Amino acid sequence: MLRPLLIGLAAATFCAAPMAHAAEPSINAVKAAIDNYVRPAYAAFAQRSVAAAKTMEALCQAPSPDRLAAAQDAFMQAAGAWSFIEPVRIGPITEDNRLERLLFWPDRRSRGLKQVQGILAGKDETAASLASLQKKSVAMQGFGALEFILFGTGSEALGQDGASFRCAYGQAVADNIAQISSAVSDEWASQDGIAGLWTAPSPDNPLYRDDAEAVSELFDILVHGLEMVRDVRIDGFLGEEPADDRPKRALYWRSGQTIASIRQNLGGMLAVYDGAGLGDNLGDDAEWIDGSIRFEFANLERALSDLDAPIAELLADETARGRIVYARIVTSGLSDLVGTGLSGEYGLTAGFSSLDGD
Amino acid sequence: MRALIERRDFLKAAGAGFFAAMAPRAALATIAADAVFATAYKDRQGGFGVAVLSEDARLLHTVPLPDRGHDITSDPVSGRSVAFARRPGQFAVVFDHRGGSPPQTIAAAPGRHFFGHGVFSPDGRLLYATENDFEAAAGLIGIYDATEGFKRVGEFPTHGMDPHEVLMMPGGRTLAIANGGIETHPDFGRAKLNLATMEPSLVFVDRETGDLVEKHSLAADLHQLSIRHMDIDGSGRVWFGCQYEGPATDRPQLIGTARPGEEGKLVALPADIVGGFRNYIGSVAANRQAGTVAVSSPQGNRLVVIEAKGGKVLSDQAMTEVCGLAPEDAGFMATTGTGAIAPAGRKTESLPGYVWDNHLLRIG
Repeated sequence: MLRPLLIGLAAATFCAAPMAHAAEPSINAVKAAIDNYVRPAYAAFAQRSVAAAKTMEALCQAPSPDRLAAAQDAFMQAAGAWSFIEPVRIGPITEDNRLERLLFWPDRRSRGLKQVQGILAGKDETAASLASLQKKSVAMQGFGALEFILFGTGSEALGQDGASFRCAYGQAVADNIAQISSAVSDEWASQDGIAGLWTAPSPDNPLYRDDAEAVSELFDILVHGLEMVRDVRIDGFLGEEPADDRPKRALYWRSGQTIASIRQNLGGMLAVYDGAGLGDNLGDDAEWIDGSIRFEFANLERALSDLDAPIAELLADETARGRIVYARIVTSGLSDLVGTGLSGEYGLTAGFSSLDGD
Repeated sequence: MRALIERRDFLKAAGAGFFAAMAPRAALATIAADAVFATAYKDRQGGFGVAVLSEDARLLHTVPLPDRGHDITSDPVSGRSVAFARRPGQFAVVFDHRGGSPPQTIAAAPGRHFFGHGVFSPDGRLLYATENDFEAAAGLIGIYDATEGFKRVGEFPTHGMDPHEVLMMPGGRTLAIANGGIETHPDFGRAKLNLATMEPSLVFVDRETGDLVEKHSLAADLHQLSIRHMDIDGSGRVWFGCQYEGPATDRPQLIGTARPGEEGKLVALPADIVGGFRNYIGSVAANRQAGTVAVSSPQGNRLVVIEAKGGKVLSDQAMTEVCGLAPEDAGFMATTGTGAIAPAGRKTESLPGYVWDNHLLRIG
């Protein structure tokens, strides 16, 4: 026989003692972030990806060193546009393994590289058509694969006749990226999907029950984005000591876009912050938080802004390496400012036991 | 479960030196408590540790930890408990809540880190911990000899990645292990490296031979349903709770049952209950006497109690960031990431200096 269940019934009243906070989480911040950042950033990503696919097509039709250079440049533009919107990890980008198909990273055991090299060595024709490529491993389909095709060993042959398979595979990858980015951009542009859910919290909304949950998502984008830059992007190649550095584990080392991509990631996060207006209307007591956040974003940009050389050269240069180490430290401080300081002002202190799953 | 009077007698018999490592007031409070629970915490100064709580939500004492802890397991024979580091931590701390011996730290073996869970053999001699061989991305059970200062004496594979909770099945021979299926590597913090290809499973392994007894996998379209936490009901059935790594708009069932020789299955809970979980179950606890199973969702702020026999939902309660669960009397004690302690049938308390980690265990 079941006895009455005696779970603490007073618990529901416990959370009704919020700390005094200055700013109210408003759904207008979410609407502004979507209009000012998410939609234009996805649209730019789609546009640059379509452009990259077209330059690949032109290269494959009539290979030349100039057209190869154009295709490489278009890759960098598309990869940069992706990095700018990459902090967003909600909505259609999370469906159909799109995140992994766009960029399978980190690839700790070089599975993707081996698969791409295998395709090139075996001239696997099924990788050269979009439909059959999309059925293959995610690591063969995105920016990692396209970077190797355009910048990796043997890529110079793309500028001459005689690398038609490599070019065709690159074309299929570029088409895949264009298709994914266009689909995601279209879904965000509509009010029916994620944009509608995120801006209309309600008890029946499957994702956001109230304004606070919806606004919390903005903080998640910032906090998790900063964590990604530090733990995955920078720590992936930066050792405790220079002897521990591993430049070939850096994202986009072949195309020299490692630091450029990190700057785009950070730029996207600043655009979330600015676009949503999270630092506005904080009140006199908390205005310093907005000032500090802007100060740290500016420090990051100043530290990284002219580090254009390949990552191996930067790491070998004491001054440049020191600036990367500094940027790593600043990302942690910034994460605390946003995740504790600013979110506390909104009464949205990030959950302790629900932060990132366990 | 030991009755209060027996423990008092035991403590009396143990003599005055027994409490050497504990402040007298804490020792007295521990004696007076009917039941004793433990949970990992973070304090307001940013420090980490294990809190020992009484059944009426008083803090009896604390054991500091070098970094964030996760779950605790208890040896029913010696009464000692072990708190494990949260993944990808590399320490576990053995402590005696009655102060019989000072805390002892176990360091992970080279190339291994803990996942945060473990279990003792019924005789208390061996401790089994879920671990990661992170270069190979292979799940392991590390075996420690509790009679030899917790020396690591062996390991065997869990036949999957990311083993999370491990339980001892009735009979004491078979381990139930939840392979969460998510690849991580300490070089990249807690980043999830294989969401497109994850293969979670629930395995039963013979702890004496290391042999795989059975492996239960989910249907292919549910391969992103990470099986992480479990408990065993009064009939010997494993109840497991999952975290879904696929799109947030999907709403898969998150609770399932399995036992050796019987096909595992997901429990069909009503859509409004499933929706409240936000695709995330943080803890599962069975109350074998009451015939109930409680599951918590700190992301959904939900605590749901299910009838173990029929799978019927008995209660659905909102509680901010509820996660830790332990059976108490006919109900459950719950703890939250906001610092609340909700004992069964008593007033919810909150200790101002602490927030509670994901798990709560009765240790005495």
